Amino acid sequence: MACSWPCAGVPSVVNSESKMFHIPPNILLMQAIIGLALGAVFVLLASGLSMIYGLMDVVNFAHGVFFMLGAYAVYQFNLTLGNFWVGVALAVLAVALLGALTEISLLRPLYKTGNLLYPLLLTFGLALALPDVVKMFYGLMPMPVNYPEGLQGSLLVGPLIVPKYRLFVIVLTFSVMFSLWLFLKKSNLGMILRATTTDKGMVDAMGINVNRVVTLGFSIGIALAALGGAVAAPMVSVEPNMGVNIVLQCFVVTVVGGLGSLGGAVVSGVIIGEVVAFTSLFAGGYADVVIYFVMAVILLVRPRGLFGELSRE
Amino acid sequence: MIKEYAHIAIVALILLTLPLWLNFTTATDILVFGLYAMAFNVALGFAGILSFGHAAFFGVGAYAAGLALRYFGASVWTAIFWAVLCASLVALLMGALCVKKRGVYFALLIAAFAQMFYFLALSPLRFITGGEDGLKGIEVLKLKFPVHADLGHPAALFGFIFCILIVCILVMHRFVHSPLGSLMKGLEENEPRLRACGYNTNAVKIWAFAVSGLFSGVAGALYTVNLGYVPLDSLYWLNSGTPLVMTLLGGMHTFFGPLLGAGIFIFFQDNVSVYTARWEFFVGALVVILILIFPGGILGTVKEKIAQADEGDRQGIWFWLKKLS
Repeated sequence: MACSWPCAGVPSVVNSESKMFHIPPNILLMQAIIGLALGAVFVLLASGLSMIYGLMDVVNFAHGVFFMLGAYAVYQFNLTLGNFWVGVALAVLAVALLGALTEISLLRPLYKTGNLLYPLLLTFGLALALPDVVKMFYGLMPMPVNYPEGLQGSLLVGPLIVPKYRLFVIVLTFSVMFSLWLFLKKSNLGMILRATTTDKGMVDAMGINVNRVVTLGFSIGIALAALGGAVAAPMVSVEPNMGVNIVLQCFVVTVVGGLGSLGGAVVSGVIIGEVVAFTSLFAGGYADVVIYFVMAVILLVRPRGLFGELSRE
Repeated sequence: MIKEYAHIAIVALILLTLPLWLNFTTATDILVFGLYAMAFNVALGFAGILSFGHAAFFGVGAYAAGLALRYFGASVWTAIFWAVLCASLVALLMGALCVKKRGVYFALLIAAFAQMFYFLALSPLRFITGGEDGLKGIEVLKLKFPVHADLGHPAALFGFIFCILIVCILVMHRFVHSPLGSLMKGLEENEPRLRACGYNTNAVKIWAFAVSGLFSGVAGALYTVNLGYVPLDSLYWLNSGTPLVMTLLGGMHTFFGPLLGAGIFIFFQDNVSVYTARWEFFVGALVVILILIFPGGILGTVKEKIAQADEGDRQGIWFWLKKLS
């Protein structure tokens, strides 16, 4: 299970004898950008997961599956409509809608049991079942999604090589996160969402329909995951198990940042993206596992994650 | 207490008849995974500890046994001994490290640690574990003690694994009904209250987790003995979900539920996969349906019905089951 990740943009310039100082700085910078792009995808996924956990106290094991569905949706829309951008937008909308339907039909009935284990197990069941549904329609082979025109290749800024698409992913993610932050901080609906993560009962007492707020929050989280999948589609191999591989790493990022904290998800995503990218540059085989070391260290030192709230029973 | 042992005897008898209507392979698989699921349930159903890392204990047990058999020419008993030792040590360590984290953090942290073992077997230790191909080259085993048997023969293998399973069931049963077992139950029901009574809940958690890991390791060793090789996948974290699904199917808060769940799961796997490679869809859908409708699993729902059966329903099946049990 080599690093299946979009950090293999640079052929490994490191053999067992070369040291860090022998790598030209423009390669280092390129790897930093690749790491940042990887981090961007992590940020999208982790913030979605964090939001869902904050609202519902449920760790969404199906998050990886919605990521995968976003990638497949963009493949399909790209195929039938020919336009990558429209494809991305439609993919996000379609998967978010699916997420909303899932929440209403499957998760909502479980809230009244009060047992946090059941929704978690249900999402686990979804994570088992849905990849097989995709296999039924698309088979096991990876589906190719091409870079959109205009974003292929790299920019040459002096001696620096900057892959265009990765730059786009970074810019897109940070715009989206900024908009999300604006929405949550400044709008009425955002305020209601934030209030619901803190004290659901009180929001209910104020006469607001909490169920709808939770559905909205869940859909936003899923939309983020789908967006992550959609933009990652050209960079990775789009196959039914791509969600399974990413979901544990996504958990790591979320947990390191602190479950329930969006800022934490952003910081942690960037850090972990860079860590993975540079590990794959210097010590290729360990790229997949370094994440777990990071998580172990951080959780043992600071149990609630970097920005997590203190006690959430 | 006699009633409980009667239950165990009945279950043992039912298990013995399995090869009659299923083939030996399926039946033996059910025994192995039944043990795995029951071990998992010691943590989940009886102590309330959710973990997604049991693949570590299962896999470590499997590899320990496999390595002992392959490289040291050990006997089956030695292999199992090493599996038990390694798996419980790993469980003890992981439990001790992570015990202070709550619920889902604990589960994920354990999963991450488990993934490290997967990676260890995949890459750095590839020269002894066989990496992605798994550990091969384990020769057909002969049993010398207490009876002579050729474990290459399916019936002998079944019998051997059956005996080990029964021993483990008896030990687990004793454990669950011991004072420590009661503490575990208190942990599951109301941890703050247990702490308020003055018990060291962290210690109870670690013990419960270690015992759960121990029996998972035994299951792993039996898996190796059954299969004749150790696939790398036995360490993959998502396969910690297998005992979870089995436990859910059969009934999380019952003792034999996971065994029943394992039976159904393996039966599904072996028979549905003949018709379609998409059997995981059915399992996932089953999990979703179960959670929504029968969260207690099969045995859990049955127990509920039995408990609710009262004198007024003298014709009902539940009432008579209650009288019998």
